[in-house]
Amino acid sequence: MKKTLFALFVAFWASVATIAALQALSNGLAVGTPDDEALPGFTMAEVAEHDSLDSCWKVIEGKVYDFTDYIPRHPTPPRVMEVWCGREATEAMRTKGIGRDHSPAAWAMMRPYLIGEVVEE
Amino acid sequence: MLQAASKLLRARVARLLVWALALIPLAAFALGLRAADFQDLAAVLNMLGRLTGVLGLAFLLLSAALSARVPGFDIPFGGLTRLWHTHHLLGAAALALLMAHPLLLAFSAQVHGEGLAFATLFPPLSDIATWSGWVALLMMMIFLAPTFSFFGKPDYERWKRLHKVAVLAVVISLVHTALFSRSLPYWTDLIVWTLFAGMALGAVLWRFVFSRRVGRLPYTVADVRRPANNVVELTLEPRRRPLKYKAGNFVYMTPFDHDLENGHGEEHPYTLSSSPLESNLRMAIKDLGNASRALQSIKTGARVTVEGPYGRFFKTPDRVDKPELWVSGGIGVTPFLARMRHLAALEAGGDIRFIYCVQDEARALYLLELQALAGRIPGCKLVPHYFYREGPLSQTFLRENCGDIDQREAYICGPQPLNRLVQAHLRALSVPRRAIHTEEFELL
Repeated sequence: MKKTLFALFVAFWASVATIAALQALSNGLAVGTPDDEALPGFTMAEVAEHDSLDSCWKVIEGKVYDFTDYIPRHPTPPRVMEVWCGREATEAMRTKGIGRDHSPAAWAMMRPYLIGEVVEE
Repeated sequence: MLQAASKLLRARVARLLVWALALIPLAAFALGLRAADFQDLAAVLNMLGRLTGVLGLAFLLLSAALSARVPGFDIPFGGLTRLWHTHHLLGAAALALLMAHPLLLAFSAQVHGEGLAFATLFPPLSDIATWSGWVALLMMMIFLAPTFSFFGKPDYERWKRLHKVAVLAVVISLVHTALFSRSLPYWTDLIVWTLFAGMALGAVLWRFVFSRRVGRLPYTVADVRRPANNVVELTLEPRRRPLKYKAGNFVYMTPFDHDLENGHGEEHPYTLSSSPLESNLRMAIKDLGNASRALQSIKTGARVTVEGPYGRFFKTPDRVDKPELWVSGGIGVTPFLARMRHLAALEAGGDIRFIYCVQDEARALYLLELQALAGRIPGCKLVPHYFYREGPLSQTFLRENCGDIDQREAYICGPQPLNRLVQAHLRALSVPRRAIHTEEFELL
C-alpha cells in the first residue's frame, strides 16, 4: 500500500507540474475572454421580456446571455437562476449570493450562450 | 470454535461498518446527481472531482474519529492495533482520493477553454475557498508522508509530533468544504458534515482534553527490576484508583521525571506483564528507542500516568477453553508472561504449548520464571527455540513440538519478520486463519 500511495503522490505532483508547465508555455493566453467581434445590441427593456425559465436572458458585465438551455445543467435548483432572468445579473455571477465569485471555468462556460451586448435606448 | 469464529467475524463486520458510514455522504451525493452530470466528458470529470472530494473528506473524518483511543472502544473492533489498521487504511484512501479531487476538477475545467485547468488549480489569492483546500491537502501530505514512509522510516517521536498537524488539516478541510457549500444537495450538506465533523472533533477533544484529565491514572514507580541489561520491569503503584484490565492488554504510559534523559511527558505503548489480580501494575520495557532507553534508568518514586487498557489479544484471558499455541519472540514475551502469571494466580490450567523464540540462552528473558510458571500451570509446556542453534523457526520444529497444531488457537507476538514467518508456517500447516491471533507491537 505504501508503494501505491507513493506512486500516486508522485503522479499528483507530476500532473500539477505538467499543468503549470503547459500554462507557462502557452504564453499566458487570456482566459475565456470573448473576442471583440461586433455583437447584436439589445436594450434592457428587450432583455426584461425574457424573464422566465421558458426564455431566460441575463446581462453580465454589459453582455447579454440566453441561459434558457443552460439552466437544467446549473448545479443549483432552477429557481436560483430564475430570479435573475431578464435582469442585470453581474452581482449573481460575482457573488453566488454567498460572497464567492464563480470559477474561471464557469465564466468560460458562459461563452456559448452569449447573444449580444447592451445598448442604450 | 464457533463462538471464536463469530467473535472474529463481528470484529471484521465492526471494522467494515466504519467504512460503510461513508455510504451516508455517498448516498446524499447520489441524491443530488442529475442527468446533466453525465452529459459530456467535462460534466463527468466535474462530477467525479466532486465525488472524490466528498468521499475523501468522509474517509479523513472517519479516520480522525477512530483516533480517539477511548479505552474499551477498540474491543468490538478486535483490539486497538486492528482499529488502527482501519484508521491507517482510511487515511490512505482519503489521501489518494483528495489528490485526485483537484486534478479531476482542473481537467474538467480545461474542456471549457485553454488555461482553465491552471486557473482552477491556482486561482487569485483572494479565492480562500480553493486555497484552503490546497493548505489542507499539503498538510495531509506533511503528516502522512512519514506514516507511509515516503521519505524513509521516521523517528517515532517526530512522526507523532507531525501527526498532530492532522487536527489542523481536518479543521481547514472543513472550512474548505463549508466555503464551497453545496458539496451535497439541499440540507444534507449541513447535516452530514456536521455529523462527521462532530465525530472527528469529538475524538480529538477526547484525545487532547478529556483523556488527559479522566483517562490517565496516576501511578508511582515502586520497584525497578532488570531481567536483562537492555530490559527493565517496572512495578507501578496506583496513587488513586487502580486500572482494570485483562491479561495481555497494553497501556500508554507517560513518565513525568525531569531526570530522564529523554521522554519526559511523552506517552508510549507498553504491554502489561502483571496478572490483573495483582494490586500493582508491572510492565517490561526493552530499550528500543530514545524514550525506552531513558526508562532503563528510571528511579523508584518517579511519577507516571497510565492510560488504557487497550488491545484484545487473548480471547479468553482468564481460562484456557481449547488447546492453545503461543509463539513469542524477544520482548513479545510480555503478554504471555502476563497470562502465565495470571493463570498461575488463578490456579487455572489448560493445554498450552509455548514456543519461546530467542537468539540464545543469554537472551532468554524471564526463562527461569517462565519455567517455574509452566511447572505450576497444569497442561502448560514451554519449548524454547534458540536461533543460533536451530536457525529460523521451521515448520518441522512446530510440527515436532506441537502435533495437533491445526486444532489449536494460535497466538503470536514478536518482531514483524517472526510474526510473518510463523503466520506463513501456520497457514501451510492448515491452521485456519480465524485461529491465528497476532499482536503487533510495531504500531507504525
